[in-house]
Amino acid sequence: MIEIKNKKGGWILWSTSLFFILLIIGCSQAPEAPVLDRYQFEKPSHFPEPTYTFRNNQVHEKGFKLGRRLFNDPTLSRDGSVSCSSCHLQSHAFADTWLHPMSIGVDGREGKRNAPPLLNLAFHKEFFWDGGVTHLDFTPILAFENEVEMDIEFPEVVARIQRHPEYPRLFKEAFDVDEVTGPFVLHALSQFMLLMVSADSKYDRYIKGDSKALTSLELDGLKLFRQHCESCHQEPLFTDLSYRNNGAQRTITDFGREIVTERMQDRGKFKVPSLRNIEVTSPYMHNARFETLRQVLDHYTDGVTEQVTIDPKVFANGKPVIVLSSDEKEKIIAFLKTLTDPGFLSNPIFFNTND
Amino acid sequence: MPCKNQLSKMKKFKSLQYIISALLLSVSLWSCQESENPDLNETGEMIVKFDNYVGNRPLVLDPTGSTNYRYTLPNGQEFNITRFGYYISHIKLEGPNGEVFVDPMLASAAEIKGYYRVDQSDPSTFEIRLKDIPAGQYNKISFNLGVKEDGIVEGAVAGILDRAAGGWFWNWNSGFIHYMFEGHSPASERVQGELRNRIRLHLGGWKNISPTDGTPQRFFDNNVTISLPFDATVRVNKTMRPSPHIHMDALQVIGQANFAIDNNIHTPLEGRPFAQRLSDAFVVDHTHQ
Repeated sequence: MIEIKNKKGGWILWSTSLFFILLIIGCSQAPEAPVLDRYQFEKPSHFPEPTYTFRNNQVHEKGFKLGRRLFNDPTLSRDGSVSCSSCHLQSHAFADTWLHPMSIGVDGREGKRNAPPLLNLAFHKEFFWDGGVTHLDFTPILAFENEVEMDIEFPEVVARIQRHPEYPRLFKEAFDVDEVTGPFVLHALSQFMLLMVSADSKYDRYIKGDSKALTSLELDGLKLFRQHCESCHQEPLFTDLSYRNNGAQRTITDFGREIVTERMQDRGKFKVPSLRNIEVTSPYMHNARFETLRQVLDHYTDGVTEQVTIDPKVFANGKPVIVLSSDEKEKIIAFLKTLTDPGFLSNPIFFNTND
Repeated sequence: MPCKNQLSKMKKFKSLQYIISALLLSVSLWSCQESENPDLNETGEMIVKFDNYVGNRPLVLDPTGSTNYRYTLPNGQEFNITRFGYYISHIKLEGPNGEVFVDPMLASAAEIKGYYRVDQSDPSTFEIRLKDIPAGQYNKISFNLGVKEDGIVEGAVAGILDRAAGGWFWNWNSGFIHYMFEGHSPASERVQGELRNRIRLHLGGWKNISPTDGTPQRFFDNNVTISLPFDATVRVNKTMRPSPHIHMDALQVIGQANFAIDNNIHTPLEGRPFAQRLSDAFVVDHTHQ
């Protein structure tokens, strides 16, 4: 046994233990989270490569916070009544509340399609239900200028920001620009939206190796989901990013994808939505037709009818393709609820604050 | 001792002199080498001028709402023009001895390069000044009429491609209006807000999507490469700045259109027949050396 009594020995003990402490700290942090920057975009390990042009717009704290402020600012609508956050609420995965199946824009104008949730946008190439917008940066332009949303020309949005007592300084700090211009307004908003990454649900923990994350009921649901739903709602994004007619409209009045592709083969098709956080984004479908997940599954098994562009994966040979018992539906719904990501829905970095 | 000291100082001074002269000599030799091939780095400028016409009459804008109809289509329909212009990009010059100049392109949030817009309401946009052209002879220009994929896939970018700065951008179907023609015609019953007899031809579209399932093409790329020979070969160098004058005839683009029907073009597919006539609308009329 070694006894260390003198000063020198004490120093050795101190430095050696410090060395090991540092080693342990270093080791324990290195594999999980090397540097914790809450305002940096991190691709979840089980996700595909993002498609956003980060080379032009790297997310950083000041840009993100500026985007957050713009996102919550109602003065950027025509009459100062509506902000992005009016219809995109964090507690609903940045979809609108069920009280507004169609969102309400300026002058109480009702929208034509259900406000979609905003999440994992860095992995999408096309936006909105019809996919007409081809870059995340361009999405706010449509929301600003749409007469049933914010009804304001984008040049006027930028002019208001230029006249604002604080925004010009914040843009200077975030982007080192002397004048606020359109692309930097859009970059700030993109930075805010890019960090809306939802990848920490019970499902994700299961996929990443925690075999106890899902109950046996939920696992049964996952199995059934992969059998009946996966071909369109592909993991891990839970959408294959395609456009399909799932029969959500009884008669097709909204032409959807056809409006942008100008081909009647795309009539009534809409982008396959992600199912992440689906528990909190009711009502469902572009036309907000269904309030509950059970109604959605009942539609697939019993409600789909023949239509000119009906997707062969949901309707073929004169009948619905998907056959599920009531019990199986409940299992699938149990699984779908494991896609809820509480950390995302309550992450304080998205809170409306000017800090 | 002082003498010896001086001597050594002188020696030092002399060696310093040698070093300096050797240095100077090498520098001058090196610079001589440079000036032996003056053409290698010599560059010049060219000013490409766009003159817009309706048939053989200069294109003149009237105020929005005007009922003064200056022009007539071949079918007899009268019309005027209230807004007019087009995007130009990817300019390239070529010469008879293999000279090539490609105008550099850049699209970013801070700045753009190589994108131009001839806007009839702003005479300063009628001339495109090309810089850093290698000295030599040139007899051909080509350019893209419109904004290609490379101006869209980078996301939000600056200048004339910034929607907030007046960029002609479609918000609902991302892309730019390559060729903008707005006016009035008594033949059109189209109403736009307070405006009557409206004609709006917005030609755009930047991608062709061909599905693999045998169904028809989605979207339409209406960018058009326009290649124009000069009427004469011109010389570019430090002192010579030639200027080709390009004439654009809007009647060629309208073609056989009927303003009673074709008065509200806002999508790639609708714009396609007009876009296919664009290359016939441009010609190098003359060149100033």
